[in-house]
Amino acid sequence: MSSTAKINHHRINGQILPQPCTHLAEFRSTNESRPFRAFQDCLRVKPPGGRAAIRREPNEVPHCGACGDAARARLYACVSCASVSCYAPSGPLHAVLHAESMPPGHEIAVDVDRAELFCCACRDQVYDRDFDAAVVLAQTAASTLGLSSSSSTSATEVASVIRFQHPANLRKRRRVDYRPWEPDLRERTLVENGSSPLERPDKAPEFPRGLRGLNNLGNTCFMNSVLQALLHTPPLRNYFLSDRHNRYFCQDRSNVSAAASASASAGVNASRRKVAVTTTNTDSNGKSRNCLACDLDDMFSAVFSEDRMPYSPAKFLFSWWQHAANLASYEQQDAHEFFISMLDGIHEKVDKDRRKPHSQGNGDCCIAHRVFSGILRSDVMCMVCGFTSTTYDPCVDISLDLEPNQGGSGKMSSTKAGHPCNGEAGYTNSRQHTGTSTLMGCLDRFTRPERLGSDQKFFCQQCQIRQESLKQMSIRKLPLVSCFHIKRFEHSSIRKTSRKVDRYLQFPISLDMAPYLSSSILRSRYGNRVFPFDEDEPDASNDLSSEFELFAVVTHSGKLDAGHYVTYLRLCNQWYKCDDAWITRVNENIVRAAQGYMLFYVQKMLYYKASEKQVAR
Amino acid sequence: MANEDNQSSHDQLSSHFFEDFLDSIIVDVASECHRIARLGLDRNLEEEEEEIRLSAQARVRVADPSNSSEANGKYIVDIFGQTHPPVASEIFDCMNCGRSIMAGRFAPHLEKCMGKGRKARQKVTRSSTAAQSRHSRNSPASAYSSYSNSTPSTSRLSNGTSSLAGEEYSNGIYEDH
Repeated sequence: MSSTAKINHHRINGQILPQPCTHLAEFRSTNESRPFRAFQDCLRVKPPGGRAAIRREPNEVPHCGACGDAARARLYACVSCASVSCYAPSGPLHAVLHAESMPPGHEIAVDVDRAELFCCACRDQVYDRDFDAAVVLAQTAASTLGLSSSSSTSATEVASVIRFQHPANLRKRRRVDYRPWEPDLRERTLVENGSSPLERPDKAPEFPRGLRGLNNLGNTCFMNSVLQALLHTPPLRNYFLSDRHNRYFCQDRSNVSAAASASASAGVNASRRKVAVTTTNTDSNGKSRNCLACDLDDMFSAVFSEDRMPYSPAKFLFSWWQHAANLASYEQQDAHEFFISMLDGIHEKVDKDRRKPHSQGNGDCCIAHRVFSGILRSDVMCMVCGFTSTTYDPCVDISLDLEPNQGGSGKMSSTKAGHPCNGEAGYTNSRQHTGTSTLMGCLDRFTRPERLGSDQKFFCQQCQIRQESLKQMSIRKLPLVSCFHIKRFEHSSIRKTSRKVDRYLQFPISLDMAPYLSSSILRSRYGNRVFPFDEDEPDASNDLSSEFELFAVVTHSGKLDAGHYVTYLRLCNQWYKCDDAWITRVNENIVRAAQGYMLFYVQKMLYYKASEKQVAR
Repeated sequence: MANEDNQSSHDQLSSHFFEDFLDSIIVDVASECHRIARLGLDRNLEEEEEEIRLSAQARVRVADPSNSSEANGKYIVDIFGQTHPPVASEIFDCMNCGRSIMAGRFAPHLEKCMGKGRKARQKVTRSSTAAQSRHSRNSPASAYSSYSNSTPSTSRLSNGTSSLAGEEYSNGIYEDH
């Protein structure tokens, strides 16, 4: 189904719009969108968030004008004369009869229960942008305060109201084409004079660069596993290897500012914290101020050098323990917690000096957020009136619950038996459970509409009281690198015990995140209508920016408090196992069959965004 | 006799209603799928299924004992042709106290050296100047999170067997993070 009939389509705002059949085209050119406007008043949406239907009066029971039948599965109202006819493939086709018996112009009808256009001559469902706009207008009227569903409100006004709900701090920078850079003669001389080749140009490296074991410093495999993934996170690696955080400059600058603050507080009764800072700065060893990004820079240099002996990330451990005092202990540690703590450490240290904007959503604050930060959208809909409240939150990863225990124990059932489509009008989700848990299954659950319990009533701005609500998450902006954290920890409050969930989770090597984007989720919530939703890009390459490739898998084996972390890295399409100091090559099957705890995916295609700064010449 | 007639007409009626409902639901699904397909909104199910198939195949192959499994154990040779002892033997200077420490024992050393961790804190709280020293700069660990039940909504996995596992605080006074 997916690849059929893609001819005869053209895109409007990122969506395919099929070419209208001759009857629809004829009808449009004669009537423009006038008849659709007339139908707008007849669009009824109930319950809130549900499907649109066509009813002249709210309680009208439509029936076929020819046979009087009201129970047929399909009843169509002619858009020219509004007469209702039935269409039952096994029985009478009064809708077709109507089209044939009337003068030309009565071929197009609308399904009264589903608000779908139908061509009675072609006997097929057809699609029209203006009609869809009218339907969406009716459907979304309930979700927004003060938006009337009168026919005077135009489609463009609706679009602007829907777009109003986008985060103000998400500026869209236009994309620029990739232009390969070649150094000119002067630049080439500069490069050759200021550097030395890593190896002989004719000798290709036998092993990928940056592949180097990390010594276990005593129960630090939780740290080593995450470090290996980060050392090979393409945008992060590129940032540090391009010398974007130069540890010498950074230390110089921090020493200057620390000295300034020390002298300023010297005469005053210094607070305890300030005393600690100056002690660290000016101690006898001449140690410079703690900066996790500097230590990471050091590590990148060491790991990407030619030295293949395992590296000891001791300085990094020391710096991290200074940053994350609550996690500083030689014992039980969690890799994901370390990951979060470390990103926070890089953010904080980089941010303090340069007064960059704190907004994490567009990643302008530091490299950690530039790489990992995405934006999640949360919609909460009042189940009584349909009013929807939307909030946006930045996130550096997505933590996913494993699906609850399925009936079959690991037996695979084909997804072909399930529903081939993913979207439905209204809020229901049709994805079928298979025998095995999958990453996409977890993401489906993450983005499915969730009924908030009666003890979690949400305050509805329209009703002005707490009401039962429906909540749905979606991804407003994808990060450059998506980190998925699988919650393999189960805590039972009854038994006061914790246990690890060893259940296998299938994860793909190539992952398309398109179904989880806010645009897709919103679109399917309103019946997959042809309508520009939120962040649809005007170019067809929108598809590519949601495709991701797996490059690192952090696995945990063993028990909750006595286990071991190992990372699998994908370099030059070959998988390597990084087990502390031991680097070995492994087959892709080993990785696919492994028990994933943290999965790292990078965007397949990276785009260059137009710089906001003037380019210096 | 009348009852049976009523019964069968009830059955007919209910089965008639059921068929109407079923027809309607089928058209719902067909109409939605038609729209999704025509507008190019369908998911790439073929690719998704291919991934699932490959993973299932991988699991079967890995489970097969006759297949050469990944190298395990700490006495293997890595891809660079090197072997390493189970406990990392590199020696370097501690950046806190300056002593020479072996890599594999660095973390436990650093923990005591920096005055962090449970064992270090227990020593502090047992001393006679317990209250005073806890707030001094020498023990900067002002917040410590207890693992098993302070963050019920998160998922935590720990690593490594530790001699400290299972020990309780003797004083139990600490600031929760």
